[in-house]
Amino acid sequence: MLRPRRVVPFVASLALLLGACSGGGEGVEEVTGGDGADGADGAEGQEGGTLVAAISGQPDQLDPHQTTAYPSFQVLENVYDTLVVPGPEDLEFQPSLATEWEVSDDNLTWTFTLRDDVTFHDGATFDSADVAYSYNRIIDEELANAFRLASVEEIRTPDETTVEIQLSEPTPNLLANIGGFKGMAILPEGAADALDLSNEANGTGPFMLESMNPDSIQLSAYEDYWGEGPFVDGVTFRFISEGTTALTELQAGDVHWTDNIPPQRLESLQAEEGLVVESIASVDYWYWAVNFEREPFSDPNVRNALAFGIDREEIAEAAHFGAATVNQTAISPDSFWAHDYAPYSHDPEQARQFLEDAGVDGLSLGLMVTNEFPQTVTVAEVIASQLGQIGIDVEIQTETFGTWLDRQGQGDFDAFMLGWLGNIDPFGYYHSQHICEGSNNYQGYCSEETDELLNQAATETDQDARRDLYHQAVEKIVDDNSYMYLYNPNVTQAWVESLSGYTIRPDRAINFEEVRLPG
Amino acid sequence: MSGAATTHEAEAGAPPAVDTRPRWRQIADLLVSNRLALFALFVLGVVLLAGILGPSLAPYGVNERVGSIVDFRLRPPSLNHIFGTDELARDVFSRVLLGARASLVVGAVAVGIALTSGTLLGLVAGFYGGKIDDFIMRAMDVLFSFPAILMAIAVVAVLGPGLVNAMIAIGIVYIPIFARVTRGSVLSVRELVYVRAARSIGASDARLIRRHILPNVAAPIIVQTTISLAFAILSEAALSFLGLGVQPPAASWGRMLAEGRGFIQQAWWMAVFPGLSIFMTVLSFNLIGDALRDVLDPHQRSAIESQGLGV
Repeated sequence: MLRPRRVVPFVASLALLLGACSGGGEGVEEVTGGDGADGADGAEGQEGGTLVAAISGQPDQLDPHQTTAYPSFQVLENVYDTLVVPGPEDLEFQPSLATEWEVSDDNLTWTFTLRDDVTFHDGATFDSADVAYSYNRIIDEELANAFRLASVEEIRTPDETTVEIQLSEPTPNLLANIGGFKGMAILPEGAADALDLSNEANGTGPFMLESMNPDSIQLSAYEDYWGEGPFVDGVTFRFISEGTTALTELQAGDVHWTDNIPPQRLESLQAEEGLVVESIASVDYWYWAVNFEREPFSDPNVRNALAFGIDREEIAEAAHFGAATVNQTAISPDSFWAHDYAPYSHDPEQARQFLEDAGVDGLSLGLMVTNEFPQTVTVAEVIASQLGQIGIDVEIQTETFGTWLDRQGQGDFDAFMLGWLGNIDPFGYYHSQHICEGSNNYQGYCSEETDELLNQAATETDQDARRDLYHQAVEKIVDDNSYMYLYNPNVTQAWVESLSGYTIRPDRAINFEEVRLPG
Repeated sequence: MSGAATTHEAEAGAPPAVDTRPRWRQIADLLVSNRLALFALFVLGVVLLAGILGPSLAPYGVNERVGSIVDFRLRPPSLNHIFGTDELARDVFSRVLLGARASLVVGAVAVGIALTSGTLLGLVAGFYGGKIDDFIMRAMDVLFSFPAILMAIAVVAVLGPGLVNAMIAIGIVYIPIFARVTRGSVLSVRELVYVRAARSIGASDARLIRRHILPNVAAPIIVQTTISLAFAILSEAALSFLGLGVQPPAASWGRMLAEGRGFIQQAWWMAVFPGLSIFMTVLSFNLIGDALRDVLDPHQRSAIESQGLGV
């Protein structure tokens, strides 16, 4: 269900062009600008230092309710807060702006108690009206995440520190919906009218937006932040699209932290002195899917042939150099929701048999990928060569992300490959992708049985019963090859050894609240 | 009338009295006497051979893995894989061989487009002059004012990436050069006696251009063609490098260079061999272009001969 963390196509491809043409020469100049600010800030701070983080893309805009781009959320994570947040390791929901919450017996009313010591960056006090304003904005203006609040009937504010959310049906994943990421951030009441939210920010988070530049964004520490941090004077996010460049800067000490690490460099990097490199399983998954509305892919035999014709191990290895775990379902094995179900193996013989049963000979398949995510192109090349062995001719169609999305939306494809990032609840992993009329069911899969299971699971409040329902649904989805799941990639980040207090997270949220740099 | 025209042409194109060999023999001999040009011809012969016979010569397919990815990727050059293997365990030598065709086809077609449209525009502009000339040449100036590669990127952005569109884009970019070169030469010959004589006996414009002007402005166009071939191949490499040209898994030297760039620390061979191929091909076209210029331009030629500067 989440599509929040995708890079915006145009900006990123432009950055790619610039990076490729200029070789980063102009970047160097701007860095000096950043360093100048660093010196000025350092003079007045207590703990000191400006953290420089290199991210691969440029935020398309900074309105948390509108953007769907991952680079935006990398920045916004440090500027805004949500009522609850996923814990750093297990992603269980923890208090943030809300200190506690309870659910009524009929599961239709959730009551949140809010902190009373929180102020926005402009000094205004945070209260329940801000929560109601923020959620109503998302619902009324039908913004990117309105679907997360689909079951919300009313938001009541009996007093300044209490918010009651009235639901039309039980919503066991409400916490994930309102706190999964900063797309559900709490804005001060009236912020959309008072500020140009796409370029300005007024949150309750540890850092304030200082300035936006073509190649970087500066944040400065918010002194009155309600939490413990921040312990640095500010954070500079620099946009470096080229992984090799980001690494060079990291090695030179011009950058303290980066997540832009070419997979093939991971091994050599880990051996390097003075750097911390971590690579942990993420909650993302990558998959490919065929168009159920096109012949001959509507034939289950053909889909089975494809599922048996590919070698997932090799695909994951080629794309991530070992920093990925193959999976035939969406949810990575260490999650509570994981289901150990793997009916397929790389078996060209069987794949050929399935093709024969389908009566298909000389099948050709257009596989749509995008250079926005280079791993999709790599994987497509591997799939092309694997399916070539069973006589399927794969034509790789590399599109810009914009065109890619258009074609996906119009159903103009044989097959495509992409990933879903930052999911926490199984609802997010499976619901809108596989339900008949699902908003993300571009492949056109439709099964009554799956629908029933998914709908039941969506409102089931008993955790174990809910998990069981999802397991049944997943088996059906995998058997029908609605998605052909490939792997869960690792999240890989590197930072200088002197940086402390940073935790790498499976949901790729980048939080610098507790980070310290040596003085 | 046709007899008269032929006589004129023979007179105008006649070699110096001392040398009675046919003109093409003179040119060929002069070229052969230039050792650098000979070397360049040899290199181009090899590249051409690779382009034509690549699929039957290459030991592996363009997207064929030589073994399992984990065991065979990023292998350095060895006897089995003289250019090493890439990150998907594919044979780099095979891909370089197969990539030659993309470079050559793009070069040839793009220059073909530029040559025909540019020459035609230049002939018309130079021959008729006046408003037509102004209109055509100002349009060319507009095209010329964009940096070539930026222009090509813009065209590909409109048409969409791919080999065919890359050819069209590069072709369009090089039209103005041909138009200018042609127009300049046409201006210098159109008032010459043999042209005026042909016109005075009633030759049509089309005939004048075709029989009397074009043959006499051909030399600089031929030189421009060879040099443009070099630049077109370079442009194809640049576009593919940026992901706008040949689409994967097909190979082209520019694409391979782009892919190899990310691995330069672990696998230099991924970038070096396609890079060398581009370098050698472009250099060869340039050398031949230079040599042709020396040979076809009688003023320079006589200077070279009289000063004993021939190589």
